[in-house]
Amino acid sequence: MSGTLALTRTELRRLMRNRRYFIFTVALPVVLYLLLGRQFNGNVYGVSFGAFYMVDMAMLGAFSGALSGNAQRISQEKKDGWIRQLRLTSLPAYAYVVSKVIVSMATTVTSIVIVLLLGRFYGNVHLAAWQWLAVAVTIWFSATIFAALAVAIGYRVAPDQVQPITFILYFAFAILGGIWYPLSGTLKTIGQVTPTYQAVKIGTDIIEGASVSVGLAIGLVVWLGIFVALATVAVRSTAETV
Amino acid sequence: MSQYETEDDHQGRTATKVAEGYAAGYTAGYGGSHGGTPVVTFENVSKHYGRLRAVDGLSLDLRAGETVALLGPNGAGKSTSLDMLLALRKPTSGKIQMFGSDPYHAVKSGRVGAMLQSGGLMPEVTVRELVELVTELHPNPEPVAVTLKRAGITQFADQRVDRLSGGQTQRVRFALAICGKSELIVLDEPTAAMDVETRRLFWNSMKEEVAAGRTLLFATHYLEEADQAADRILVINRGRLLADGTPAEIKARAGAKRLSFRLDQVDEPFLLGLPGLVNLEVRNDVVQIQSSDSDATLYAVLDAGYRPHEIEVTSLGLEQAFLAITAEDDRANGHDRTNGYAAGETN
Repeated sequence: MSGTLALTRTELRRLMRNRRYFIFTVALPVVLYLLLGRQFNGNVYGVSFGAFYMVDMAMLGAFSGALSGNAQRISQEKKDGWIRQLRLTSLPAYAYVVSKVIVSMATTVTSIVIVLLLGRFYGNVHLAAWQWLAVAVTIWFSATIFAALAVAIGYRVAPDQVQPITFILYFAFAILGGIWYPLSGTLKTIGQVTPTYQAVKIGTDIIEGASVSVGLAIGLVVWLGIFVALATVAVRSTAETV
Repeated sequence: MSQYETEDDHQGRTATKVAEGYAAGYTAGYGGSHGGTPVVTFENVSKHYGRLRAVDGLSLDLRAGETVALLGPNGAGKSTSLDMLLALRKPTSGKIQMFGSDPYHAVKSGRVGAMLQSGGLMPEVTVRELVELVTELHPNPEPVAVTLKRAGITQFADQRVDRLSGGQTQRVRFALAICGKSELIVLDEPTAAMDVETRRLFWNSMKEEVAAGRTLLFATHYLEEADQAADRILVINRGRLLADGTPAEIKARAGAKRLSFRLDQVDEPFLLGLPGLVNLEVRNDVVQIQSSDSDATLYAVLDAGYRPHEIEVTSLGLEQAFLAITAEDDRANGHDRTNGYAAGETN
Protein backbone atom coordinates (compact mmCIF):
# COMPACT_ATOMS: atom_id res chain seq x y z
CA MET A 1 0.00 0.00 0.00
CA SER A 2 2.86 2.39 0.80
CA GLY A 3 4.19 1.76 -2.71
CA THR A 4 0.85 2.70 -4.23
CA LEU A 5 0.89 5.90 -2.17
CA ALA A 6 4.44 6.72 -3.27
CA LEU A 7 3.41 6.30 -6.89
CA THR A 8 0.29 8.42 -6.35
CA ARG A 9 2.35 11.18 -4.73
CA THR A 10 4.72 11.31 -7.70
CA GLU A 11 1.79 11.24 -10.13
CA LEU A 12 0.22 14.22 -8.35
CA ARG A 13 3.48 16.13 -8.54
CA ARG A 14 3.55 15.47 -12.29
CA LEU A 15 0.02 16.63 -12.70
CA MET A 16 0.72 19.95 -11.01
CA ARG A 17 3.24 20.65 -13.75
CA ASN A 18 0.88 19.83 -16.55
CA ARG A 19 -1.22 22.95 -17.07
CA ARG A 20 -2.92 21.61 -20.19
CA TYR A 21 -4.68 19.07 -18.04
CA PHE A 22 -6.52 21.84 -16.20
CA ILE A 23 -7.95 23.51 -19.29
CA PHE A 24 -10.72 20.99 -19.83
CA THR A 25 -11.31 20.12 -16.20
CA VAL A 26 -11.27 23.63 -14.73
CA ALA A 27 -10.99 26.40 -17.31
CA LEU A 28 -13.72 25.29 -19.74
CA PRO A 29 -16.54 24.84 -17.19
CA VAL A 30 -15.55 28.04 -15.39
CA VAL A 31 -15.59 30.10 -18.59
CA LEU A 32 -18.90 28.60 -19.75
CA TYR A 33 -20.49 29.26 -16.37
CA LEU A 34 -19.30 32.85 -16.37
CA LEU A 35 -20.69 33.31 -19.87
CA LEU A 36 -24.03 31.55 -19.50
CA GLY A 37 -24.71 30.99 -15.80
CA ARG A 38 -26.77 34.18 -15.41
CA GLN A 39 -28.14 34.47 -18.92
CA PHE A 40 -31.36 32.51 -18.53
CA ASN A 41 -34.34 32.64 -16.25
CA GLY A 42 -36.78 29.92 -15.54
CA ASN A 43 -36.45 26.40 -14.21
CA VAL A 44 -34.66 23.38 -15.52
CA TYR A 45 -35.30 19.94 -13.97
CA GLY A 46 -37.21 21.75 -11.22
CA VAL A 47 -34.41 24.14 -10.16
CA SER A 48 -33.21 27.58 -11.29
CA PHE A 49 -31.05 27.74 -14.41
CA GLY A 50 -28.08 28.97 -12.35
CA ALA A 51 -28.29 25.93 -10.08
CA PHE A 52 -28.84 23.50 -12.96
CA TYR A 53 -25.95 24.96 -14.90
CA MET A 54 -23.67 24.75 -11.86
CA VAL A 55 -24.32 21.02 -11.48
CA ASP A 56 -24.04 20.68 -15.22
CA MET A 57 -20.68 22.41 -15.54
CA ALA A 58 -19.26 20.64 -12.50
CA MET A 59 -20.14 17.36 -14.19
CA LEU A 60 -18.73 18.46 -17.55
CA GLY A 61 -15.32 19.38 -16.14
CA ALA A 62 -15.15 16.34 -13.88
CA PHE A 63 -16.16 13.68 -16.38
CA SER A 64 -14.11 15.03 -19.26
CA GLY A 65 -11.07 15.37 -17.00
CA ALA A 66 -11.43 11.82 -15.75
CA LEU A 67 -11.95 10.50 -19.27
CA SER A 68 -9.69 12.21 -21.81
CA GLY A 69 -6.59 13.10 -19.81
CA ASN A 70 -6.34 9.70 -18.19
CA ALA A 71 -6.95 7.65 -21.33
CA GLN A 72 -4.28 9.59 -23.21
CA ARG A 73 -1.72 9.23 -20.45
CA ILE A 74 -2.30 5.56 -19.82
CA SER A 75 -2.08 4.76 -23.51
CA GLN A 76 1.14 6.76 -23.90
CA GLU A 77 2.71 5.22 -20.81
CA LYS A 78 1.81 1.76 -22.03
CA LYS A 79 3.45 2.48 -25.38
CA ASP A 80 6.54 4.02 -23.77
CA GLY A 81 6.95 0.98 -21.53
CA TRP A 82 6.53 2.80 -18.23
CA ILE A 83 3.80 0.36 -17.16
CA ARG A 84 6.21 -2.44 -18.05
CA GLN A 85 8.95 -0.85 -15.99
CA LEU A 86 6.59 -0.62 -13.03
CA ARG A 87 5.79 -4.31 -13.34
CA LEU A 88 9.45 -5.00 -12.60
CA THR A 89 9.12 -3.35 -9.20
CA SER A 90 7.54 -4.91 -6.14
CA LEU A 91 4.40 -2.83 -6.67
CA PRO A 92 1.31 -5.02 -6.79
CA ALA A 93 -0.23 -5.36 -10.25
CA TYR A 94 -3.25 -3.17 -9.47
CA ALA A 95 -1.20 -0.26 -8.06
CA TYR A 96 -0.80 1.59 -11.36
CA VAL A 97 -4.52 1.65 -12.10
CA VAL A 98 -5.41 2.49 -8.49
CA SER A 99 -3.04 5.44 -8.43
CA LYS A 100 -4.43 6.72 -11.74
CA VAL A 101 -7.96 6.63 -10.33
CA ILE A 102 -6.87 8.37 -7.11
CA VAL A 103 -5.09 11.10 -9.07
CA SER A 104 -8.14 11.49 -11.28
CA MET A 105 -10.32 11.91 -8.18
CA ALA A 106 -7.91 14.54 -6.86
CA THR A 107 -8.19 16.57 -10.06
CA THR A 108 -11.94 16.30 -10.36
CA VAL A 109 -12.49 17.31 -6.75
CA THR A 110 -10.60 20.54 -7.47
CA SER A 111 -12.71 21.33 -10.49
CA ILE A 112 -15.95 20.43 -8.71
CA VAL A 113 -15.16 22.66 -5.72
CA ILE A 114 -14.27 25.60 -8.00
CA VAL A 115 -17.47 25.31 -10.04
CA LEU A 116 -19.65 24.96 -6.92
CA LEU A 117 -18.02 28.04 -5.39
CA LEU A 118 -18.74 29.87 -8.62
CA GLY A 119 -22.38 28.76 -8.39
CA ARG A 120 -22.64 30.06 -4.84
CA PHE A 121 -20.98 33.43 -5.32
CA TYR A 122 -21.59 34.19 -9.01
CA GLY A 123 -24.73 32.20 -9.75
CA ASN A 124 -26.43 33.00 -6.39
CA VAL A 125 -27.21 29.38 -5.62
CA HIS A 126 -28.08 29.00 -1.95
CA LEU A 127 -28.12 25.55 -0.45
CA ALA A 128 -27.87 23.88 2.93
CA ALA A 129 -24.47 22.47 3.86
CA TRP A 130 -25.62 18.87 3.42
CA GLN A 131 -26.92 19.71 -0.06
CA TRP A 132 -23.56 21.15 -1.16
CA LEU A 133 -21.85 18.06 0.14
CA ALA A 134 -24.34 15.67 -1.45
CA VAL A 135 -24.12 17.42 -4.85
CA ALA A 136 -20.32 17.42 -4.73
CA VAL A 137 -20.10 13.76 -3.76
CA THR A 138 -22.62 12.72 -6.42
CA ILE A 139 -20.62 14.41 -9.17
CA TRP A 140 -17.34 13.20 -7.76
CA PHE A 141 -18.55 9.60 -7.75
CA SER A 142 -20.06 9.90 -11.23
CA ALA A 143 -16.86 11.34 -12.68
CA THR A 144 -14.85 8.50 -11.18
CA ILE A 145 -16.95 6.08 -13.22
CA PHE A 146 -15.32 7.66 -16.28
CA ALA A 147 -11.84 7.08 -14.86
CA ALA A 148 -12.60 3.36 -15.18
CA LEU A 149 -13.61 3.87 -18.82
CA ALA A 150 -10.36 5.78 -19.36
CA VAL A 151 -8.39 2.80 -18.07
CA ALA A 152 -10.19 0.51 -20.53
CA ILE A 153 -9.43 2.85 -23.46
CA GLY A 154 -5.86 3.56 -22.39
CA TYR A 155 -4.96 -0.12 -22.25
CA ARG A 156 -6.69 -0.98 -25.52
CA VAL A 157 -6.05 1.92 -27.85
CA ALA A 158 -2.83 3.33 -29.33
CA PRO A 159 -1.97 6.90 -28.26
CA ASP A 160 -2.69 8.47 -31.66
CA GLN A 161 -6.19 6.99 -31.71
CA VAL A 162 -7.11 7.85 -28.14
CA GLN A 163 -8.01 11.46 -28.83
CA PRO A 164 -10.66 10.82 -31.51
CA ILE A 165 -12.21 8.03 -29.47
CA THR A 166 -12.40 10.01 -26.24
CA PHE A 167 -13.75 12.99 -28.20
CA ILE A 168 -16.58 10.92 -29.63
CA LEU A 169 -17.39 9.54 -26.19
CA TYR A 170 -17.10 13.00 -24.67
CA PHE A 171 -19.57 14.45 -27.19
CA ALA A 172 -21.90 11.48 -26.91
CA PHE A 173 -22.08 11.58 -23.13
CA ALA A 174 -22.26 15.38 -23.06
CA ILE A 175 -25.03 15.71 -25.67
CA LEU A 176 -27.08 12.62 -24.75
CA GLY A 177 -26.59 13.41 -21.07
CA GLY A 178 -28.10 16.85 -21.55
CA ILE A 179 -24.94 18.64 -20.43
CA TRP A 180 -25.03 21.19 -23.25
CA TYR A 181 -28.75 21.74 -23.20
CA PRO A 182 -31.42 20.15 -21.05
CA LEU A 183 -33.01 17.05 -22.55
CA SER A 184 -36.57 16.82 -23.75
CA GLY A 185 -38.66 14.65 -26.06
CA THR A 186 -37.15 11.60 -27.78
CA LEU A 187 -33.62 12.61 -26.85
CA LYS A 188 -34.65 12.48 -23.21
CA THR A 189 -35.91 8.92 -23.57
CA ILE A 190 -32.52 7.89 -24.88
CA GLY A 191 -30.45 10.24 -22.75
CA GLN A 192 -32.00 9.12 -19.50
CA VAL A 193 -29.84 6.03 -19.45
CA THR A 194 -26.55 7.92 -19.63
CA PRO A 195 -24.52 8.35 -16.44
CA THR A 196 -24.03 12.04 -17.23
CA TYR A 197 -27.81 12.65 -17.21
CA GLN A 198 -28.26 10.50 -14.13
CA ALA A 199 -25.57 12.41 -12.24
CA VAL A 200 -26.96 15.84 -13.16
CA LYS A 201 -30.54 14.78 -12.39
CA ILE A 202 -29.56 13.43 -8.97
CA GLY A 203 -27.75 16.72 -8.35
CA THR A 204 -30.74 18.86 -9.29
CA ASP A 205 -33.09 16.59 -7.31
CA ILE A 206 -30.94 17.16 -4.24
CA ILE A 207 -31.08 20.92 -4.82
CA GLU A 208 -34.84 20.85 -5.40
CA GLY A 209 -35.23 18.92 -2.18
CA ALA A 210 -37.11 16.22 -4.02
CA SER A 211 -36.51 12.60 -3.20
CA VAL A 212 -33.80 11.12 -5.36
CA SER A 213 -35.01 8.33 -7.60
CA VAL A 214 -33.49 4.96 -6.74
CA GLY A 215 -33.48 4.15 -10.46
CA LEU A 216 -30.99 6.93 -11.16
CA ALA A 217 -28.64 5.74 -8.42
CA ILE A 218 -28.89 2.16 -9.63
CA GLY A 219 -28.16 3.42 -13.14
CA LEU A 220 -24.87 4.96 -11.98
CA VAL A 221 -23.86 1.80 -10.18
CA VAL A 222 -24.62 -0.26 -13.30
CA TRP A 223 -22.43 2.07 -15.40
CA LEU A 224 -19.66 1.75 -12.84
CA GLY A 225 -19.98 -2.03 -13.10
CA ILE A 226 -19.83 -1.93 -16.92
CA PHE A 227 -16.77 0.35 -17.06
CA VAL A 228 -14.91 -1.52 -14.33
CA ALA A 229 -15.59 -4.79 -16.17
CA LEU A 230 -14.33 -3.27 -19.45
CA ALA A 231 -11.23 -1.97 -17.67
CA THR A 232 -10.54 -5.31 -16.02
CA VAL A 233 -10.85 -7.21 -19.29
CA ALA A 234 -8.63 -4.65 -21.05
CA VAL A 235 -5.91 -4.84 -18.41
CA ARG A 236 -5.98 -8.65 -18.29
CA SER A 237 -6.09 -9.27 -22.01
CA THR A 238 -3.26 -6.87 -22.79
CA ALA A 239 -1.02 -8.22 -20.01
CA GLU A 240 1.47 -9.76 -22.44
CA THR A 241 1.82 -6.62 -24.55
CA VAL A 242 2.21 -4.15 -21.71
CA MET B 1 41.32 -6.79 -24.96
CA SER B 2 39.86 -10.01 -23.65
CA GLN B 3 40.21 -10.60 -19.98
CA TYR B 4 40.43 -14.32 -20.58
CA GLU B 5 43.12 -16.59 -21.80
CA THR B 6 41.98 -17.83 -25.12
CA GLU B 7 44.49 -20.53 -25.83
CA ASP B 8 43.28 -23.66 -27.45
CA ASP B 9 42.18 -25.69 -24.47
CA HIS B 10 39.27 -27.99 -25.11
CA GLN B 11 38.58 -28.53 -21.45
CA GLY B 12 37.83 -24.83 -21.39
CA ARG B 13 38.90 -24.54 -17.79
CA THR B 14 41.65 -22.02 -18.41
CA ALA B 15 39.29 -19.10 -18.59
CA THR B 16 40.15 -16.96 -15.61
CA LYS B 17 38.32 -14.02 -14.26
CA VAL B 18 40.39 -10.95 -13.58
CA ALA B 19 37.90 -9.05 -11.46
CA GLU B 20 38.35 -9.28 -7.72
CA GLY B 21 35.69 -10.35 -5.28
CA TYR B 22 34.37 -12.97 -7.62
CA ALA B 23 32.10 -15.55 -6.03
CA ALA B 24 34.12 -18.47 -4.81
CA GLY B 25 33.46 -22.00 -5.93
CA TYR B 26 32.32 -21.08 -9.40
CA THR B 27 33.27 -23.30 -12.27
CA ALA B 28 32.28 -22.71 -15.82
CA GLY B 29 31.20 -25.57 -17.98
CA TYR B 30 28.76 -26.70 -20.59
CA GLY B 31 25.30 -26.73 -19.09
CA GLY B 32 26.65 -25.21 -15.89
CA SER B 33 26.00 -28.47 -14.11
CA HIS B 34 28.35 -28.04 -11.20
CA GLY B 35 29.10 -25.49 -8.51
CA GLY B 36 27.06 -22.62 -7.09
CA THR B 37 23.36 -22.33 -6.35
CA PRO B 38 20.97 -22.05 -9.27
CA VAL B 39 19.64 -18.52 -9.42
CA VAL B 40 17.60 -19.09 -12.54
CA THR B 41 16.39 -22.31 -14.15
CA PHE B 42 14.65 -22.71 -17.50
CA GLU B 43 13.21 -26.20 -18.00
CA ASN B 44 12.24 -26.91 -21.57
CA VAL B 45 10.61 -23.50 -21.93
CA SER B 46 8.73 -22.62 -25.11
CA LYS B 47 6.82 -19.57 -26.21
CA HIS B 48 4.73 -19.90 -29.35
CA TYR B 49 2.81 -17.18 -31.13
CA GLY B 50 0.52 -19.18 -33.38
CA ARG B 51 2.90 -21.13 -35.60
CA LEU B 52 5.88 -18.98 -34.75
CA ARG B 53 8.19 -20.49 -32.16
CA ALA B 54 9.86 -17.48 -30.56
CA VAL B 55 11.38 -19.69 -27.89
CA ASP B 56 11.57 -23.39 -28.53
CA GLY B 57 12.45 -25.82 -25.74
CA LEU B 58 14.99 -23.67 -23.93
CA SER B 59 16.74 -25.22 -20.93
CA LEU B 60 19.46 -23.47 -18.98
CA ASP B 61 20.50 -22.45 -15.52
CA LEU B 62 22.39 -19.55 -14.03
CA ARG B 63 24.49 -19.83 -10.90
CA ALA B 64 25.21 -17.21 -8.28
CA GLY B 65 28.00 -14.84 -9.22
CA GLU B 66 28.07 -15.60 -12.92
CA THR B 67 28.13 -12.98 -15.63
CA VAL B 68 26.23 -14.53 -18.50
CA ALA B 69 25.68 -13.16 -21.99
CA LEU B 70 22.64 -14.25 -23.94
CA LEU B 71 23.98 -13.92 -27.43
CA GLY B 72 21.99 -14.21 -30.61
CA PRO B 73 20.97 -12.35 -33.75
CA ASN B 74 17.94 -10.07 -33.75
CA GLY B 75 14.82 -12.17 -33.39
CA ALA B 76 16.63 -15.10 -31.79
CA GLY B 77 14.24 -15.04 -28.84
CA LYS B 78 16.42 -13.14 -26.39
CA SER B 79 13.87 -10.52 -25.39
CA THR B 80 11.07 -13.06 -25.20
CA SER B 81 13.19 -15.24 -22.91
CA LEU B 82 13.99 -12.32 -20.62
CA ASP B 83 10.34 -11.21 -20.64
CA MET B 84 9.30 -14.68 -19.48
CA LEU B 85 12.01 -14.68 -16.82
CA LEU B 86 10.68 -11.36 -15.52
CA ALA B 87 7.05 -12.56 -15.47
CA LEU B 88 6.02 -10.14 -18.22
CA ARG B 89 5.01 -13.01 -20.47
CA LYS B 90 3.89 -16.53 -19.71
CA PRO B 91 5.62 -19.49 -21.32
CA THR B 92 3.45 -21.63 -23.62
CA SER B 93 5.04 -24.64 -21.95
CA GLY B 94 7.91 -25.46 -19.64
CA LYS B 95 8.88 -24.08 -16.27
CA ILE B 96 10.96 -21.13 -15.13
CA GLN B 97 12.24 -20.76 -11.61
CA MET B 98 14.08 -17.87 -10.04
CA PHE B 99 15.51 -18.10 -6.50
CA GLY B 100 13.44 -21.24 -6.04
CA SER B 101 10.14 -19.52 -6.70
CA ASP B 102 8.05 -18.58 -9.73
CA PRO B 103 9.19 -15.51 -11.71
CA TYR B 104 6.32 -13.28 -10.55
CA HIS B 105 7.04 -13.72 -6.84
CA ALA B 106 10.79 -13.50 -7.37
CA VAL B 107 10.32 -10.14 -9.13
CA LYS B 108 7.96 -8.86 -6.43
CA SER B 109 10.43 -9.87 -3.70
CA GLY B 110 12.93 -7.38 -5.14
CA ARG B 111 15.65 -9.98 -5.70
CA VAL B 112 15.98 -9.07 -9.35
CA GLY B 113 16.66 -5.69 -10.92
CA ALA B 114 16.07 -5.33 -14.64
CA MET B 115 16.63 -2.97 -17.50
CA LEU B 116 14.57 -3.70 -20.57
CA GLN B 117 14.83 -2.41 -24.09
CA SER B 118 11.12 -1.83 -23.97
CA GLY B 119 11.10 -0.34 -20.48
CA GLY B 120 10.04 3.30 -20.38
CA LEU B 121 10.38 6.13 -17.93
CA MET B 122 7.77 8.34 -16.33
CA PRO B 123 7.79 11.71 -18.07
CA GLU B 124 7.41 15.17 -16.49
CA VAL B 125 9.47 14.33 -13.40
CA THR B 126 13.16 14.90 -12.74
CA VAL B 127 15.68 12.08 -12.85
CA ARG B 128 16.08 12.34 -9.09
CA GLU B 129 12.33 12.17 -8.46
CA LEU B 130 12.06 9.08 -10.64
CA VAL B 131 14.97 7.31 -8.96
CA GLU B 132 13.51 8.27 -5.57
CA LEU B 133 10.18 6.77 -6.53
CA VAL B 134 11.55 3.45 -7.79
CA THR B 135 13.91 3.27 -4.80
CA GLU B 136 10.96 3.75 -2.49
CA LEU B 137 9.18 0.86 -4.21
CA HIS B 138 12.13 -1.48 -3.59
CA PRO B 139 11.90 -3.72 -0.52
CA ASN B 140 15.67 -3.55 -0.02
CA PRO B 141 16.75 -0.15 -1.33
CA GLU B 142 20.14 1.45 -1.83
CA PRO B 143 20.54 5.12 -0.84
CA VAL B 144 19.44 7.31 -3.76
CA ALA B 145 22.76 9.21 -3.81
CA VAL B 146 24.65 5.93 -4.19
CA THR B 147 22.48 4.82 -7.12
CA LEU B 148 22.85 8.17 -8.87
CA LYS B 149 26.61 8.00 -8.48
CA ARG B 150 26.92 4.38 -9.60
CA ALA B 151 24.86 4.99 -12.70
CA GLY B 152 26.81 8.16 -13.40
CA ILE B 153 23.72 10.36 -13.51
CA THR B 154 24.33 12.69 -10.56
CA GLN B 155 25.26 15.60 -12.80
CA PHE B 156 21.90 15.59 -14.58
CA ALA B 157 19.74 14.40 -11.68
CA ASP B 158 17.69 17.60 -11.66
CA GLN B 159 16.89 17.53 -15.36
CA ARG B 160 13.54 16.35 -16.56
CA VAL B 161 13.39 12.74 -17.69
CA ASP B 162 11.73 13.61 -21.01
CA ARG B 163 14.56 15.99 -21.93
CA LEU B 164 17.49 13.57 -21.85
CA SER B 165 19.61 12.22 -24.68
CA GLY B 166 19.40 8.55 -25.68
CA GLY B 167 22.56 7.62 -23.79
CA GLN B 168 21.45 9.52 -20.67
CA THR B 169 18.05 7.81 -20.78
CA GLN B 170 19.79 4.47 -20.95
CA ARG B 171 21.80 5.30 -17.84
CA VAL B 172 18.66 6.31 -15.96
CA ARG B 173 17.14 2.95 -16.88
CA PHE B 174 20.26 1.32 -15.56
CA ALA B 175 19.89 3.28 -12.31
CA LEU B 176 16.38 1.86 -11.92
CA ALA B 177 17.80 -1.65 -12.31
CA ILE B 178 20.37 -1.17 -9.53
CA CYS B 179 18.49 1.06 -7.08
CA GLY B 180 17.87 -1.86 -4.75
CA LYS B 181 20.12 -4.56 -3.36
CA SER B 182 19.04 -7.12 -5.95
CA GLU B 183 20.98 -10.35 -6.27
CA LEU B 184 20.34 -10.76 -9.97
CA ILE B 185 20.54 -8.04 -12.58
CA VAL B 186 18.95 -8.61 -15.97
CA LEU B 187 19.84 -6.29 -18.84
CA ASP B 188 18.34 -6.45 -22.31
CA GLU B 189 20.71 -4.91 -24.86
CA PRO B 190 21.93 -2.43 -22.24
CA THR B 191 24.37 -0.49 -24.39
CA ALA B 192 22.08 0.15 -27.36
CA ALA B 193 22.01 3.92 -28.00
CA MET B 194 25.26 4.41 -26.07
CA ASP B 195 28.38 5.84 -27.67
CA VAL B 196 31.71 4.05 -27.31
CA GLU B 197 32.84 6.04 -24.29
CA THR B 198 29.54 5.67 -22.43
CA ARG B 199 29.60 1.98 -23.24
CA ARG B 200 33.03 1.62 -21.67
CA LEU B 201 31.93 3.50 -18.54
CA PHE B 202 28.83 1.36 -18.40
CA TRP B 203 30.74 -1.91 -18.37
CA ASN B 204 33.15 -0.56 -15.78
CA SER B 205 30.31 0.22 -13.38
CA MET B 206 28.76 -3.13 -14.24
CA LYS B 207 31.94 -4.90 -13.19
CA GLU B 208 31.63 -3.23 -9.79
CA GLU B 209 28.13 -4.64 -9.43
CA VAL B 210 29.40 -8.12 -10.23
CA ALA B 211 32.37 -7.71 -7.92
CA ALA B 212 29.89 -6.97 -5.15
CA GLY B 213 28.62 -10.53 -5.65
CA ARG B 214 25.68 -9.95 -7.95
CA THR B 215 24.71 -12.31 -10.75
CA LEU B 216 24.39 -10.68 -14.12
CA LEU B 217 22.47 -11.82 -17.18
CA PHE B 218 22.51 -9.65 -20.26
CA ALA B 219 21.27 -10.05 -23.79
CA THR B 220 23.32 -8.68 -26.63
CA HIS B 221 24.02 -9.09 -30.28
CA TYR B 222 27.43 -7.41 -29.91
CA LEU B 223 29.89 -10.28 -29.85
CA GLU B 224 32.70 -8.12 -28.62
CA GLU B 225 30.61 -7.18 -25.63
CA ALA B 226 29.79 -10.79 -24.79
CA ASP B 227 33.45 -11.72 -25.15
CA GLN B 228 34.72 -8.92 -22.95
CA ALA B 229 32.08 -8.73 -20.27
CA ALA B 230 30.80 -12.27 -19.79
CA ASP B 231 32.41 -15.32 -18.31
CA ARG B 232 29.76 -17.53 -19.85
CA ILE B 233 27.98 -17.19 -23.15
CA LEU B 234 24.69 -18.76 -24.16
CA VAL B 235 24.28 -18.69 -27.93
CA ILE B 236 20.67 -18.78 -29.01
CA ASN B 237 19.15 -18.79 -32.46
CA ARG B 238 15.52 -19.19 -33.47
CA GLY B 239 14.55 -19.78 -29.85
CA ARG B 240 16.93 -22.63 -29.19
CA LEU B 241 20.12 -22.89 -27.18
CA LEU B 242 22.98 -23.72 -29.54
CA ALA B 243 26.00 -23.39 -27.32
CA ASP B 244 26.77 -22.78 -23.68
CA GLY B 245 30.28 -22.18 -22.43
CA THR B 246 33.08 -19.75 -21.76
CA PRO B 247 34.06 -17.45 -24.64
CA ALA B 248 37.06 -19.77 -25.18
CA GLU B 249 34.81 -22.80 -25.40
CA ILE B 250 32.44 -21.13 -27.80
CA LYS B 251 35.30 -20.28 -30.09
CA ALA B 252 36.61 -23.85 -29.87
CA ARG B 253 33.20 -25.28 -30.58
CA ALA B 254 32.91 -23.48 -33.89
CA GLY B 255 36.34 -24.47 -35.06
CA ALA B 256 38.64 -22.11 -33.29
CA LYS B 257 41.37 -21.91 -35.93
CA ARG B 258 41.52 -21.12 -39.56
CA LEU B 259 44.11 -23.08 -41.51
CA SER B 260 44.97 -21.96 -45.00
CA PHE B 261 47.52 -23.08 -47.57
CA ARG B 262 48.11 -23.50 -51.26
CA LEU B 263 47.99 -26.94 -52.77
CA ASP B 264 48.85 -27.79 -56.39
CA GLN B 265 46.49 -30.72 -56.75
CA VAL B 266 43.38 -30.29 -54.65
CA ASP B 267 41.56 -33.48 -53.72
CA GLU B 268 38.31 -32.29 -52.17
CA PRO B 269 36.96 -35.63 -50.93
CA PHE B 270 40.24 -36.16 -49.09
CA LEU B 271 40.17 -32.69 -47.57
CA LEU B 272 36.57 -33.15 -46.40
CA GLY B 273 37.65 -36.24 -44.45
CA LEU B 274 40.32 -34.41 -42.47
CA PRO B 275 40.17 -34.61 -38.65
CA GLY B 276 38.83 -31.54 -36.82
CA LEU B 277 37.39 -30.07 -40.00
CA VAL B 278 34.41 -27.79 -39.47
CA ASN B 279 34.29 -25.95 -42.74
CA LEU B 280 36.12 -26.13 -46.06
CA GLU B 281 36.56 -23.55 -48.78
CA VAL B 282 38.57 -24.12 -51.94
CA ARG B 283 39.32 -21.37 -54.42
CA ASN B 284 41.65 -22.50 -57.25
CA ASP B 285 44.70 -23.73 -55.40
CA VAL B 286 43.90 -21.91 -52.15
CA VAL B 287 42.46 -24.11 -49.41
CA GLN B 288 40.82 -22.61 -46.32
CA ILE B 289 39.86 -24.89 -43.49
CA GLN B 290 38.09 -24.03 -40.28
CA SER B 291 39.23 -26.57 -37.71
CA SER B 292 38.60 -27.42 -34.10
CA ASP B 293 42.05 -29.04 -33.97
CA SER B 294 44.36 -27.33 -36.42
CA ASP B 295 47.41 -29.40 -35.43
CA ALA B 296 45.69 -32.72 -36.17
CA THR B 297 44.29 -31.34 -39.42
CA LEU B 298 47.67 -30.18 -40.64
CA TYR B 299 49.47 -33.41 -39.62
CA ALA B 300 46.90 -35.45 -41.54
CA VAL B 301 47.57 -33.37 -44.65
CA LEU B 302 51.30 -33.92 -44.29
CA ASP B 303 50.96 -37.63 -43.42
CA ALA B 304 49.03 -38.18 -46.64
CA GLY B 305 52.09 -37.07 -48.50
CA TYR B 306 50.96 -33.55 -49.48
CA ARG B 307 53.38 -30.71 -49.26
CA PRO B 308 51.27 -27.56 -49.02
CA HIS B 309 52.94 -24.18 -49.06
CA GLU B 310 52.18 -20.75 -47.63
CA ILE B 311 50.73 -22.43 -44.55
CA GLU B 312 48.95 -20.06 -42.24
CA VAL B 313 47.12 -20.82 -38.98
CA THR B 314 45.04 -18.05 -37.45
CA SER B 315 42.68 -17.85 -34.50
CA LEU B 316 39.06 -17.17 -35.18
CA GLY B 317 37.40 -14.43 -33.20
CA LEU B 318 34.16 -14.96 -31.40
CA GLU B 319 32.37 -13.32 -34.28
CA GLN B 320 33.30 -16.02 -36.76
CA ALA B 321 32.60 -18.65 -34.12
CA PHE B 322 29.17 -17.22 -33.56
CA LEU B 323 28.42 -16.94 -37.25
CA ALA B 324 29.61 -20.50 -37.78
CA ILE B 325 27.39 -21.83 -35.01
CA THR B 326 24.26 -20.04 -36.15
CA ALA B 327 24.91 -20.71 -39.83
CA GLU B 328 25.39 -24.40 -39.08
CA ASP B 329 22.12 -24.41 -37.19
CA ASP B 330 20.29 -22.58 -39.97
CA ARG B 331 21.62 -24.99 -42.59
CA ALA B 332 20.72 -28.00 -40.49
CA ASN B 333 17.17 -26.74 -40.28
CA GLY B 334 16.82 -25.71 -43.87
CA HIS B 335 16.58 -21.99 -43.18
CA ASP B 336 18.65 -19.43 -44.89
CA ARG B 337 19.91 -16.66 -42.68
CA THR B 338 17.41 -14.04 -43.67
CA ASN B 339 14.54 -16.30 -42.69
CA GLY B 340 16.25 -17.18 -39.47
CA TYR B 341 16.44 -13.54 -38.51
CA ALA B 342 12.77 -13.02 -39.05
CA ALA B 343 11.58 -15.38 -36.35
CA GLY B 344 10.50 -14.36 -32.91
CA GLU B 345 11.27 -10.68 -32.95
CA THR B 346 9.19 -9.10 -30.24
CA ASN B 347 9.95 -5.44 -30.50
